[in-house]
Amino acid sequence: MTSIVVGEGRLAEALRARVTAEMPARVIVPPLVIEPMRVVDLTDDDIDRMWEQPMRTLISELQRAHGDGCRRIVVVVPTIGQSGGAEYAAVSATAEAARVLVKSAARQWGEVDVTVNAVAVAPEVFGIDTAITGPISIAPRALAGEVDPSDTISFLCSAAAGHVTGQTIVCDGGLWM
Amino acid sequence: MNRRGTSLAGRVAIVTGAGQGVGEGIARRLAEHGATVIVAARRAETGEPVAASIRGDGGSATCVETDVTKGESIAACVTHTVAEFGRLDIVVHNAFTGAIPHRLENAVLDKHWKGMSLTAGWASLQCAREAHLHLAASSRRPRGEGGGRYVLITSPSGVEGSANIPLYSPAKAAQRAIAKSLAREWGPDGITVNCIAPVAASPSLITAFDRNPALQQAIEARTPLGRVGDITDDIGSVALFLAGDDSSYVTGQTIVCDGGSFLGL
Repeated sequence: MTSIVVGEGRLAEALRARVTAEMPARVIVPPLVIEPMRVVDLTDDDIDRMWEQPMRTLISELQRAHGDGCRRIVVVVPTIGQSGGAEYAAVSATAEAARVLVKSAARQWGEVDVTVNAVAVAPEVFGIDTAITGPISIAPRALAGEVDPSDTISFLCSAAAGHVTGQTIVCDGGLWM
Repeated sequence: MNRRGTSLAGRVAIVTGAGQGVGEGIARRLAEHGATVIVAARRAETGEPVAASIRGDGGSATCVETDVTKGESIAACVTHTVAEFGRLDIVVHNAFTGAIPHRLENAVLDKHWKGMSLTAGWASLQCAREAHLHLAASSRRPRGEGGGRYVLITSPSGVEGSANIPLYSPAKAAQRAIAKSLAREWGPDGITVNCIAPVAASPSLITAFDRNPALQQAIEARTPLGRVGDITDDIGSVALFLAGDDSSYVTGQTIVCDGGSFLGL
């Protein structure tokens, strides 16, 4: 059986093992290129790797999910798109672009009863070093313990989430609010 | 020129896409307040008349042909500016192209994405890369004599998505994230980085109104202030604030300047 989770890396692998869906669904983990780099050091090749290619892949995956008849689409992003991060300008640009592309997709595909949402996870989940980015929030994380976003994603892939679309659910234990 | 309020006397500003619309309005307002403005336009046919008009009004402006889809063109504009005027204090990256209505499922990347990606994502990073050294130098000047400022022109659609041009929204969203990231990265250098999300009577919007008067009525009806913004008085003035000393403790922010239509931040 083909997994509903598209993407590489530990996060995608973990989600493949845990996420469930009641209906045709696709969970996309964009192929973010995680390398801290000051903007003055970015070459055009770096911008291509960190911005252009991940966005092209994401757009294509969204189109593929729509073409495959998925009724629930979830894109997983790090909260660094919302918070920004020093030395991660290109990565944060891609993450935020992905999060807002979800809203555009939701607006267009709602007419065919397809929901599109984002789940935002802590930057560390994508391997982003928050010792470099600067603090993600001015307050400490609200909840202790390991954060597993798979249940939140499974909810968004369920019939019960049929009127939730274009949203971002932040699943990071209450750090980014 | 001699307008009251914020003085940018002695400062040098590059405004991309200043040959028309929002960029022109910003260039005019910065020049009115004493800045020497580089009208960075893709074509001299549009940029030079704006620069000449600013000069005719008593301001200081010069047109430098700049194609922001090419990193080397951005670098050349910055190099020319510093060689000619000895400093660079303010960069307003406004130039944007490629917004063609489409369905996301049918979008062709090289047709519907490439132009917006180059002018928003790529160029925002490339302008930052080329300008940083000079903006940092400006911030080392005494207060009132300098202060590095990088301003990106985004859109309310970059926050809320778009049903008409779906790939426009992520391109514009990227600029907000870049502003936040650079605000963190450049804070120690004293450079501020902010965004403006305008809705203004640009030539393209006026053309759209001419074709579809109902569109203007719809926009005005949903806007608490009941009108579409003026490129100079409404948008240029916000850019002036972000370019000047009054905003020296404001960074990483987006000011939505659309008459109150979008209230979702």
